[in-house]
Amino acid sequence: MFPSFQNPSPPRLRWVIQTLAGLLCLAQVQAWAQQPAPSAPAGHGAFLEVHRAKGRRQTADHSKFKILQGPFKEGDGPAVTRACLTCHTKAAEQVMATSHWTWNVADHGKDGFGKSTHLVNNYCISIIGGNTESCARCHIGYGFKDKTFDFTRQENVDCLVCHDTTGDYEKEKAGLPNPGVDLAAVAQKVGEPTNRNCGVCHFFGGGGDATKHGDLDDTILKAPRSEDVHMSRQGAGMECVDCHVSDGHRIAGPNYVVPADRREQAKYPGEAASRMSCTACHSDSPHKSYILNRHYQKVACQTCHIPAFARGELPTNLYWDWETAGRLKNGRPYQEEDAKGFEGYNSIHGEMVWDRNVKPTYLWYNGNLAFVRLTDSIQVPADGKVVLNPAEGSYADPNAKIWPFKLHDGRQPFDTVLNRFVAPYTAGPKGSGAYWGDWNWEVAIRKGMETAGLPYSGKYGFVKTTMLWPITHMVAPKEQALSCLECHRRNGRLQGVSGFYLPGRDRGRGVDFIGLGLILVTGLGVLVHGLMRYFHGHF
Amino acid sequence: MRRVILYEGFERFWHWSQALLIITMMLTGFEIRGMGLHLFGFQRAVSLHNILAVALVVLIVFAIFWHVTTGEWRQYIPTRKFLREMIAFYLTGIFKGAPHPVKKHRMAKLNPLQRLAYLGFKTLIIPVQVTTGALYYYYPNLQHALHWPASSLWLIAIVHVLSAFGLVAFLIGHAYLTTTGHTPLTNLKAMITGWEDLKDDAYLDEP
Repeated sequence: MFPSFQNPSPPRLRWVIQTLAGLLCLAQVQAWAQQPAPSAPAGHGAFLEVHRAKGRRQTADHSKFKILQGPFKEGDGPAVTRACLTCHTKAAEQVMATSHWTWNVADHGKDGFGKSTHLVNNYCISIIGGNTESCARCHIGYGFKDKTFDFTRQENVDCLVCHDTTGDYEKEKAGLPNPGVDLAAVAQKVGEPTNRNCGVCHFFGGGGDATKHGDLDDTILKAPRSEDVHMSRQGAGMECVDCHVSDGHRIAGPNYVVPADRREQAKYPGEAASRMSCTACHSDSPHKSYILNRHYQKVACQTCHIPAFARGELPTNLYWDWETAGRLKNGRPYQEEDAKGFEGYNSIHGEMVWDRNVKPTYLWYNGNLAFVRLTDSIQVPADGKVVLNPAEGSYADPNAKIWPFKLHDGRQPFDTVLNRFVAPYTAGPKGSGAYWGDWNWEVAIRKGMETAGLPYSGKYGFVKTTMLWPITHMVAPKEQALSCLECHRRNGRLQGVSGFYLPGRDRGRGVDFIGLGLILVTGLGVLVHGLMRYFHGHF
Repeated sequence: MRRVILYEGFERFWHWSQALLIITMMLTGFEIRGMGLHLFGFQRAVSLHNILAVALVVLIVFAIFWHVTTGEWRQYIPTRKFLREMIAFYLTGIFKGAPHPVKKHRMAKLNPLQRLAYLGFKTLIIPVQVTTGALYYYYPNLQHALHWPASSLWLIAIVHVLSAFGLVAFLIGHAYLTTTGHTPLTNLKAMITGWEDLKDDAYLDEP
């Protein structure tokens, strides 16, 4: 036995210890009482602390490297890349294996998915019809103008767009640097990508801020906690790459290969496991309530915790009608505002609908979106609307959950003979045959399909399309999570999600009729019986 | 006329706590169903409904133990004796001031209609509610483990709800029939105090 456990300390000593302990506690209590209440809840980690730690993480001060002192020729991005590669010898090789470079998701086993392939959307439709040069502003390379671009030249990789920390770097057509950028200054201050680096492209999908995703826009950089609890500086102050973890420049999370939900953990110590599912950090049972936790089996976290998308100040595009594009005033394109002050018409796009704070549409989703490509033949369903990327999943699918989506509607051209979508040439000057120069679909489509190397019958029409955008960013603080009754009632948010019995929503009228009828009959019987007793004087 | 203890302490405790539990579960249950009640709020109604369900099951376990050990379960053995007379009494006799056809006795305090009704309540409605309630609660686990089809929850819910409607009807009838005693409040008082004045001494002498 341990004698120290058996023999209590002498009484006087105990008294002293107890008194000291008491005084210590008292001081602590007083300290608590004097502390002002924290003004804003800081989430799991105070932003400043997280970022101080990040600052310490770098082991090199790039301004000390001679090779980055320059001078670099105006707009000579490749020269900077060559300098980077003298130390980071494998970086370009790594980048070139990713879909950020190829614009094809072949590295994730989905060859043929990505912007440089036959994928089609209902915003700008496709880049391969001759629009590459202006779209490649967002390519992490230098000089991606057309099919002739050399995807194997290492110096064509643009290191700066992702690693610039100054905010001064800017890309132009074909992804070349703006000649006004002081490349040496930018190169000396490179660091880990922040939200702004990712945002310069990913916030501006569809040709403008907030246009495409609905849950990603420029406002996130200055978002209040209520807009995005993770990325807000008043929230957790997280960066995109905190969840989209990279491993040798391979960043987790292309839209084409995201499982709906999963719990990711490193397979061995030190492996950079992606944190792209909520559960990777929050566990799959983060609520105090057992019943709430069990919702996880069929309901994605995002469904309750993202009550609406486009919650910043910017509207997102909900409808884009190419068929109405091309109206001109005095031979010139024009724009018009709608009642809300958003761009209701633009000659180069057609009629459009924009909105902020939009309630998502909910669908079963197992992480697979069945994308339609320019090479797939389409069948127009009864409602006349082709879904470009239907979500796979149902109640019976154990991997599927109810997910929030932004539905993007529109009308776009297709080949009425071959029943395929077409890739028109849109971005080009007058006389080039581009739609925005010459306003002629016939020519724009023919030229586009020629450039893309795809067959075109010569006959085109327009068809209604819908595109699905899974909503996963702009997670709201827990106080803003949906209350039960948003879904557990008739005509609630999940009214359209079928295949299962939802308590509160699917209350059968027949059952209520029988039940209330039974109660009514009993009540009436009792009433009549009671009244008869009363009138007979025997109550 | 003799005053006897008709309902013992535990019996009264059991009766009234069961009543309270069931009524609260009716209110929370119909709020969850979305029948226009807004008493607790959906989330609290759900938690309360589930907590009370556990409490009710515990109470029932004690009640079963009490019924078995005291032999009180014999009170619920159905009989056809005086059944016809009881029905006739409720349909006609009661309006004419006819005497109650069945005399109460300490060991036979329920008339044949009561025996049938309470036996049905205890062996049919309550077990159905407890079973479907448990299936409802554990449906996500069962669905996951046994690959139950989506329609099974629908079926569970329908039985649970129909049975709940039945309980409400039972409660209405039950509450009304308590007024058919010697005076309208005789039965109620007996269930509160335990004592009742029994008229016919002859029955009391039976063992």
